[in-house]
Amino acid sequence: MSNEMNHTESNPTSQINRRGLFRIGGLTVAGAVVVAACGKTEAGELGSVGEGATTPVLPDPIVDNGVLLRTMAGLELSIVNAYERMLEEGLLAGSSAAYPTLGDLTELVTEFAAHHVLAAKSFNRMATQHGAEAWNCGNTRLDSAYIFPVFDRVLLGVEATDAAPKIEPSDDPLRDMANLIHTLESLSSESCQALMPQVTEADVRATAMQLGVRSARHAAAIALRINPGGYVSATDAVNAQPVVVADATTTTVQDIAAGGGTPAVSDAPKATDVPLPVAVPTQYGSLSPITYIGGRGDENGVRLKLNFESPSLNSLAYPFDVCAAG
Amino acid sequence: MDIEVTEIGEKAAPQRLGRRALLGAGVGGAALSLLPLLSGRAVAAPAEGENTTTTAPPTRPTSADVALLAFAQQLELTARDLYDKALAATGWSAAELTVVSTFRESHEAYAQSLSGLLGADAPGAASPELLRTLGSGWAGAPGKFLAAAYELESAAVATHADLIAQLQGTDALSLIASIQIAEARHGTVLADMAGMTELPDLLVETEANSLLVQG
Repeated sequence: MSNEMNHTESNPTSQINRRGLFRIGGLTVAGAVVVAACGKTEAGELGSVGEGATTPVLPDPIVDNGVLLRTMAGLELSIVNAYERMLEEGLLAGSSAAYPTLGDLTELVTEFAAHHVLAAKSFNRMATQHGAEAWNCGNTRLDSAYIFPVFDRVLLGVEATDAAPKIEPSDDPLRDMANLIHTLESLSSESCQALMPQVTEADVRATAMQLGVRSARHAAAIALRINPGGYVSATDAVNAQPVVVADATTTTVQDIAAGGGTPAVSDAPKATDVPLPVAVPTQYGSLSPITYIGGRGDENGVRLKLNFESPSLNSLAYPFDVCAAG
Repeated sequence: MDIEVTEIGEKAAPQRLGRRALLGAGVGGAALSLLPLLSGRAVAAPAEGENTTTTAPPTRPTSADVALLAFAQQLELTARDLYDKALAATGWSAAELTVVSTFRESHEAYAQSLSGLLGADAPGAASPELLRTLGSGWAGAPGKFLAAAYELESAAVATHADLIAQLQGTDALSLIASIQIAEARHGTVLADMAGMTELPDLLVETEANSLLVQG
């Protein structure tokens, strides 16, 4: 009589253990592969040889001095193009119900446009000095997302859709153009200021700020044409009061901002849902978005509202971007 | 048919992977996995003749910046003191007083911001030289004060332009640029308040000289 242990030792291969099962499975798969490989190939179809086209790779969006300067040239040219359109279509003459003292802006805007032409040339000159190609058309993003929609809304209105009725062209095109001029001048100034921590060359910074200072003064000048006497923001005026004037002998407290800090000027336009610009809107040069409101209101009275911002990310003119106008 | 027999016990011991061997294999594997990354870096390095990246400018003011910013603070405090002189005069309308006091507050705020950058290096006082140079026009009727303030704001803009051309730290650059833009607008406002209607006056086409060399 033999015990179980003895039986196992005498027939080590008769049992199918786990390892054996794996081995059999592997052999089966290998056999199947061999059989499949020996099968007949389809006649009449040639196998592809060679290399196909590779997946396109986007160039790296590297932001350097050249890109920033090209972008600024485009922004200035967008402003020039907008002003030229206003001048060509006679949008700056006539009168405005909202701004009765505005007058004809043709001379002012002609002067502004000349400055922006020079500014674009300066930015392009500096861009080429930094190894970039000049950018000789408007900023694509600024044009398509901001300036063209303003012109469309003001001049053409909006066609009716299934969900909304038609919006007529603007009730006051001169008001809307004046506000667009103020917005674009503020944008130019703000964009030059925003360059300061971005560009690496001191001479570029100095030139950019020289141009930005001029645009800031344009913005202040057009703000005063729109809103005579609108010198400073009501908030800053209130914060400035009371002013303690101290000299060696006396201290005088002057209640100069009574009535909300807005200077009382008889020919100031009435406040409406389109905000009135002021010459010095903030204590420091601001980098915040500039809100533009214009055009005729929709069925709920809501006008076109856009926030203009200094160039960033997808509004930059990278080396792989091409100027459509050549 | 060969049959593999796994033996357990003393005979199998040399084939076992020890902890040390496992660690060694892990380190080797890690080194291999880093190869593509390292080779990618090597490819990304600019070849000879290509443009190289520029060094990022410092954010904090450099030692050279400190002297320039100290001058800027003295200028702003000088402007504040001069506006105080104007506010002490009589004959202002309420609208004019609002503007003049707002500008006075702005210049004080600029000086305080510069203090924040300078810390213990901030002079904290107006420049006697600048007060003497600029102060002569600050007397008489409001119209005279407005003309003097117009010149002061223009000189401040020109001075800040000089500073921007020399500053290296981006914190200081951003601050000075934001001050310069605001002071540029001040000039247009003062021109309008003074009754100037010509565009070259409103746009301050004739900028005053920088005070940096005079300081």
